[in-house]
Amino acid sequence: MARFWISSEAGHIGTDTQIGFDARLRTVSAWASPAAIEVESSLFRALAVLRVVVLVNAIGLTAYRAGNYVSVTAAIVCGLVMIGWTAFAIWAYAAPSRRTALLVGADLAIALGLLLVTPLLKGPGFHASVPGFWVSGALLACAIHYRWVGGLLAGAALAAVDLGLREYIDQSIYGNAFLLFIGGPVVGYMCESVQRMALQRDEAERAAARAEERTRLARAVHDGVLQVLALVQRRGGELDGDAELGRLAGEQERELRALIRGEQPGRHPGAGMVDLAAALAELETGNVTVSGPASAVELPAHAAEEIVAATGAALDNVRLHVGEDARAWVLLQAFPDHVEVSVRDEGPGIPDGRLAEAERDGRLGIVGSIRGRILDLGGTAELSTGRTGTEWELIVPRRGLEKVEQR
Amino acid sequence: MVVDDHPMWRDAVERDLATAGFEVVATASTGREAITRFAATRPDVVVLDLQIPEPDGVQVTTEVVALHPTTKVLILSASGEQNDVLAAVKAGATGYLIKSASREELLDAVRSVAAGDPVFTPGLAGLVLGEFQQSADTEVRGDKPTLTDRETEILKLVAKGLSYRQIADRLVLSHRTVQNHVQNTLRKLQMHNRVELTRYAIEQGLDAD
Repeated sequence: MARFWISSEAGHIGTDTQIGFDARLRTVSAWASPAAIEVESSLFRALAVLRVVVLVNAIGLTAYRAGNYVSVTAAIVCGLVMIGWTAFAIWAYAAPSRRTALLVGADLAIALGLLLVTPLLKGPGFHASVPGFWVSGALLACAIHYRWVGGLLAGAALAAVDLGLREYIDQSIYGNAFLLFIGGPVVGYMCESVQRMALQRDEAERAAARAEERTRLARAVHDGVLQVLALVQRRGGELDGDAELGRLAGEQERELRALIRGEQPGRHPGAGMVDLAAALAELETGNVTVSGPASAVELPAHAAEEIVAATGAALDNVRLHVGEDARAWVLLQAFPDHVEVSVRDEGPGIPDGRLAEAERDGRLGIVGSIRGRILDLGGTAELSTGRTGTEWELIVPRRGLEKVEQR
Repeated sequence: MVVDDHPMWRDAVERDLATAGFEVVATASTGREAITRFAATRPDVVVLDLQIPEPDGVQVTTEVVALHPTTKVLILSASGEQNDVLAAVKAGATGYLIKSASREELLDAVRSVAAGDPVFTPGLAGLVLGEFQQSADTEVRGDKPTLTDRETEILKLVAKGLSYRQIADRLVLSHRTVQNHVQNTLRKLQMHNRVELTRYAIEQGLDAD
């Protein structure tokens, strides 16, 4: 999410992209996000229905086979435990805040407990366990709340206990245990997938809303603020106008416009890449005109930074040697195999021999820094100077730039 | 004719033009108004803002040029709407000036455009250069016009902020020749656009029967 910030210092406006921060946040709290909890809640609502179905099934079977129990009282107690816990679980799982590890643990413990008492109540050679498929309620609760890992562990525990208690294992007993064992992780995994999809859907909806808001903002700003700023700037340039006010209005207009432009969708380059055209455009001021192609010029971030820094240094040089309000023009040309940046001013030029003299004295300062940066990128930096002005021609090949290491 | 949806701007431009002796035959604040009033008044020059209520400046340019090919369109728009500016120029606009330009620059631009001379800002020259360079690396088929070396050279100098006069001096050409070269680049850009539209139509099967 991009945040807008406006610092009081010189009325500067900029953007601060906090994608990295948001990504970190997402991995920590994805399952606690509203979208994920909403998915969980709807699955628990479905599970509540299933719990009633398996309860009716278990009670019916217990009543039908009450004769298998050592005592009818034991059968009734088991039936009441299942009815009571089912009712409690349906209520407890209904609220996200009550879905604690303790609840899920107790759910599973009761299911395991009913399995464990089976040999005591129905004799060691029992065929059907006391809870039967009623344990699937606890299994699926684990799977929904702790996803595939929870489903796998609960399924393994239930299957192991069930099989461990048997005197004999036939095809159908093994089949039921195996279903429990694989059902847990399968449902858990599906729950996880649905939650992920819900998160992605939410993210897409948020992105769409942001884009819409940006368009609306850009339109509103364009229709009002920018027009007035441009008009103030124009009036300021007239004979009886306030030149300082006009200049300030121009600056604000450019900054605001750059802000909107940067926020436009479709201009965001790939990872590790920077749009050199947009980066150079930020160097534009009232005296500096930056021209370039309409489409993005993507370069590896390091190379783009160096080119922008070299261009900035050339513009500093113009201010230093020609004057604070000297005009300068920056032109970016993007070819398939190289980019070309030229920086031109209309100053008096650098007198013959001045550069050579400076080089001898070891004072190459700005010139050295421009040349050094471009040479490091495998390019060339040519300086031509004359009575009508000075021009830097920076040429950087586009191939192999990824390999240029940051120093 | 002056087209701008912002009353302050419309009035300011109209006043400047009127005091300089131009006759403003109509003003409009939306694309629709612009097209109907254009048809009724047939002005020689349309000073057009790009960001106006539907239909936008690019569509208005297309309409105006189609209705009356000798009318000149001068885009007077905020900087930074690069794609729109390029689209308008491709659609047939003769000149582009940013809104922060001074009154004198505006008047000069209207005079030049009225005389059929293209008005380029360095920014527009950069965009046009970029357009030809981009097509140079994606095109293998030679059915699109390309710039000659001279035209590219002149466009580059415009993009670097030199005036036509300065370019003429540097290249030892006449002012007129420089203007003709710039005009050719515009013409080629517009042709370029038509080639693209035609190809699009063929690809989409619109030329069938």
